[in-house]
Amino acid sequence: MSGKLSRRNLLKLTAVSAAALGANLVPVMRIFAQGNPVTLRFQENAENYAAVVAAFNEQFPNITIEFVNVTGVDHAEIASKILSQLAAGQPVNIGYAATEATQLYAGEGLAMPLTQRALADQATLAEYFADVSPTLIEGMMYEGDLYQLPRDFNAAHIYFNKALLAEAGLEVPGDEWTKDDFVEYARAMTGIGGGDSFGYGWTNRLWGSWTPWFFVNDTNLLAEERAPGGEAIWDTFYAGDPLAEGRGGGWRWPAPQANNPKMVEALDFVVSLTTDGLTPAVEIGGGDRLQGFFTSGKLGMTIAGGFWAGALINAGMEPGSFEVQFWPKWVSQRHQFGTGGAWILQGAGTEAEDASWEFVKFNAARDIMLLIPWMANASTTPVRRSINTPEYWGQTGLENGHVFYDALDQRPDTAPIPAPVFSIEMTNIYTRYTSLATSGEQTPQAALDGMQAELEQLYARNA
Amino acid sequence: MLIHRTGAQKPKPASNWLRRWLAADTIDGIKRQRALLGYLFLAPTILGLLIFIIGPMLYTFFLSFHKWNVFRPPEFVGLDNFVRLFADARVGISYRNTFILVVMTVLLLEVMAFLLALAVNRIARTRLAYLYRTAYFLPVLLSGAAVSVTLGYLFHKDFGVINYYLGLLGIDKIPWLTSSDVVLITISLTTVWRNLGFTFIIYLGGLTSLPTEVLEAAEVDGATGWRKLRSIILPLMSPTILFATITDMIKMLQFFDEPFIMTRGGPGDASRTVVMMMYESGFGNLEFGYASAIALTLFAVILAVTGFQFYASRRFVFYQ
Repeated sequence: MSGKLSRRNLLKLTAVSAAALGANLVPVMRIFAQGNPVTLRFQENAENYAAVVAAFNEQFPNITIEFVNVTGVDHAEIASKILSQLAAGQPVNIGYAATEATQLYAGEGLAMPLTQRALADQATLAEYFADVSPTLIEGMMYEGDLYQLPRDFNAAHIYFNKALLAEAGLEVPGDEWTKDDFVEYARAMTGIGGGDSFGYGWTNRLWGSWTPWFFVNDTNLLAEERAPGGEAIWDTFYAGDPLAEGRGGGWRWPAPQANNPKMVEALDFVVSLTTDGLTPAVEIGGGDRLQGFFTSGKLGMTIAGGFWAGALINAGMEPGSFEVQFWPKWVSQRHQFGTGGAWILQGAGTEAEDASWEFVKFNAARDIMLLIPWMANASTTPVRRSINTPEYWGQTGLENGHVFYDALDQRPDTAPIPAPVFSIEMTNIYTRYTSLATSGEQTPQAALDGMQAELEQLYARNA
Repeated sequence: MLIHRTGAQKPKPASNWLRRWLAADTIDGIKRQRALLGYLFLAPTILGLLIFIIGPMLYTFFLSFHKWNVFRPPEFVGLDNFVRLFADARVGISYRNTFILVVMTVLLLEVMAFLLALAVNRIARTRLAYLYRTAYFLPVLLSGAAVSVTLGYLFHKDFGVINYYLGLLGIDKIPWLTSSDVVLITISLTTVWRNLGFTFIIYLGGLTSLPTEVLEAAEVDGATGWRKLRSIILPLMSPTILFATITDMIKMLQFFDEPFIMTRGGPGDASRTVVMMMYESGFGNLEFGYASAIALTLFAVILAVTGFQFYASRRFVFYQ
């Protein structure tokens, strides 16, 4: 064979190389070939993402990331602020949405579907999908398409203040503990810790709240069904994975069922915790106040996800002074979660969309995820199974840190909180009527009847 | 020396006409120059007014006849938003809450601020006056959000400091934030605490600028105490009282920070105000047309209340 490269061979080699590189390099090549500077508005905190962006800019020096820091009490409030920026003609190119806003952005055409891009980048992303539970991926789908690559998630669990547990002469319960065990624990940890402690505390919102109680009572605020589609993702990335069997193209919540008997029973139970003095006054909002009460030894148990572990350490608790366990069993032990990831603004132009995709994909790499300080210090639950190790949770002193990912891997019925396209308004209705019941202004039945009526009106308006 | 004005023979550009018109060394020219200078000075304010006040107001008016959710272009719906608004019981409740809050808060604010101003004015020449003025004014400098979050802790039914001390006095725990019977009082007290300093400074300013000869003449005539307050100070202070009451009332009709942060309008709708309804309709429910209709009704109410105050003030406001 001649050592010279003939013109014919050069053409063949070029064709083969192009095929080998495949469609997945086209966007990258387009960005580099043009060499045009691209500026992306990214909804994140500059300090938290400084290392990620620095690493990204080593590969993509022509892409400038502008940070747009958006804060809120919960994800619904953040979504409101993002929409106000959109209304003002200042949308972000890359946003971060939790389950509360996933379908809102997707359903209203704000977010770009990512299925085809993920398939085109199969070689790069196969490792990511292999490391991420299909439950989370399905949670980021809407009507058959994937809209976000999840970054972190939080399933609701029970946290224990170990000092109060010890004072009550109790130990952290086992995996299969029940609602009745829970009440006994709450009773035992009420009125100790200096005399003014409560057994259990929670706040009124969509995630967490009393939502896990109706999940384990085998019901939901809205009827559930799976949208068709999603096969491309399941067949490409999850072929043969038993956890991916039966999954569809995302969740649908076709009708409200707030006042079904199981819902009433669940709210009745939650309200009884307050009337029995086991739970302090329930307020609407995030978990900040709850955190203060828990860290100061006023609450024996509280509802939280993985984010709570790092947050408690940051709030001054010693590693090992708290522990976590699965949500207690009632009719079932079905868990609820919320997940979140980056979404890309649709219609911002090919260049911006390509550059945004490169950034989102770059962020999905394991090492890059761990550059985010609060991801590294266990202030959330990473979506990657491989990060959820005993060592990872061990930095906060948790021995049961495995429960967070086990809620996905060991309990395939775990599902996202109900969050349809109009979830912000739905959440408002949900918390408003919940507050009427928890404050004793209405009976659980009356509150849920009112909630159901308003939810039906909401569905009718959005039909 | 002969100067060749070759340029003068060229055709003059149109802008030269304007330059000559403005620079004309005549009475009219000077008037025009002054007018132009005036407009130039006014331009930033007029532009600001157009961009930040008039423009949004006109757009709000436009939106109130449309259905708009940010994602799709506005769709004309005629009077639908207003018809829905007048049938919406929650809007009615939010107006009721707002009026109760306004009456409670403005009454408390005006009475307390006036009494405090009277007291501090009596010691105006002492060093203690500086301390009181600073102390009462400090909360005004705090952010409404920070105050609401902090007082939210203090007012917590089970862990709050306020109920702790009331407990020491043998008083049962009060559900400050979680009972519809109490929640408006809690919000009103919080607002009064934060805003008292501002109204107090207005009254103190009014009192210190009262004509001393009138007050001294009244004292010479034997008017002291209540009589002096009722017949001399209050009439002389009436323009200040009118100003403070109107500004406070306008501010309080737009109640938002405290109920939004402390209670989210709860329990139920017990502390939901009109501005909260407007915010939630727009940015929560993505019904910007409906939110605009609510905004317009609130604008009309504020206009009516202020107009009524001016009308009624003819009877009791005394201008020197």
